[in-house]
Amino acid sequence: MKLKKLAIAAVCAFVAGSVYADKKTTETTPAEDVNTYRDYFMKRFPGVPLEEYANGVYAIDKVSRDNWEAVEEFPPYEPMIEDGETMWNTPFANGKTYGSCFNDDPAQRKNYPHWDDARKTVVTLPMAINECRTANGEKPLKYKKGAIANLLAYMAYESRGQKPTAEIPNDDALAAYNKGKQVYFARRGQFNFNCASCHMQSAGQKARADILSPALGHTTGWPVYRSKWGELGTLHRRYGGCMKQMRAAPYKAQGEEFRNLEYFMTHMNKDIEFNGPSARK
Amino acid sequence: MMTSIKKTLLSAAAAAALAISSGAFAASQADFDAAYAAASAELKKAKSMGNAWRDTGKMLKKAEAAAKEGNFGKAIGIARDAKFQAQAAQEQAASQASAGNPGYLY
Repeated sequence: MKLKKLAIAAVCAFVAGSVYADKKTTETTPAEDVNTYRDYFMKRFPGVPLEEYANGVYAIDKVSRDNWEAVEEFPPYEPMIEDGETMWNTPFANGKTYGSCFNDDPAQRKNYPHWDDARKTVVTLPMAINECRTANGEKPLKYKKGAIANLLAYMAYESRGQKPTAEIPNDDALAAYNKGKQVYFARRGQFNFNCASCHMQSAGQKARADILSPALGHTTGWPVYRSKWGELGTLHRRYGGCMKQMRAAPYKAQGEEFRNLEYFMTHMNKDIEFNGPSARK
Repeated sequence: MMTSIKKTLLSAAAAAALAISSGAFAASQADFDAAYAAASAELKKAKSMGNAWRDTGKMLKKAEAAAKEGNFGKAIGIARDAKFQAQAAQEQAASQASAGNPGYLY
């Protein structure tokens, strides 16, 4: 009798272990990952359509959404879009414009981030903007706020409605995706948190007065006018802030770690429209 | 018998406390330098693993400031805490090297 109970307990433990065990970075494919994340959030927030996740926490909390909709009546990022448009149209010292690097089309959001196989690296839109500047004899811009955020706001605005692809064309690109995934799920800092601790496991719950936003859709609305900042900021600025909140030393904006992370997260958000710039608390 | 052992122990403890406060075991610049170097080396290792903690560098600066004021005991204490943080960060990085989807997603 005792043996029977032991055997049943062992089988239960084995089944529970195999179902709920954490996966290794390379154990799941990008396609499996997308399905896993979507299924998780669809079960967690039933009735919230996939495209709504572009709006962050406002997709899942009515009071926050009401406030946000009031803010969006007079978008605080509007003047920055205009500044960005001026930048786009103003020639560099050599007479060329940003258009010369981007086929004269500011609606570039769908093309970034992408895997550059010749350089074996992920290229993001801010990185391409600075490469355009240096190729035309201009100094690169700082990556977290200011002029680059304004130009990104204009380009994002022109790109509204596009959908991210972040295609993974080969094994090298897959390695970059997996590096980004490892950055996302690696626990770090004095609090031993990972990105998913807040934005998957605890999404929808409160951290003091804030409701934690779901991971799905996180990369679609950038750059963001954050009330806390009182200005426009870039995605990598927020990445750095998140790491600091975990009490981890942040990686560099547009360094390889954050570019891979953006690649992974953008792939997660396939089929969710770009809707930047946007306003957040 | 018990009382005399107790008394002996108490007086020994008091003597030790006096010795410490009078500076018989006072920490020196050399002690601090060793503690600081050890902590810095561990932090460098943590950084090379891509996983330093936010405040470890600041702690080392605080330790340096305390040492400059001649407060070596405090400085060594902070440096040792920084070393602990840097070692914990290394351990954390090693354990997370192949982190992937958590089980709760399934």
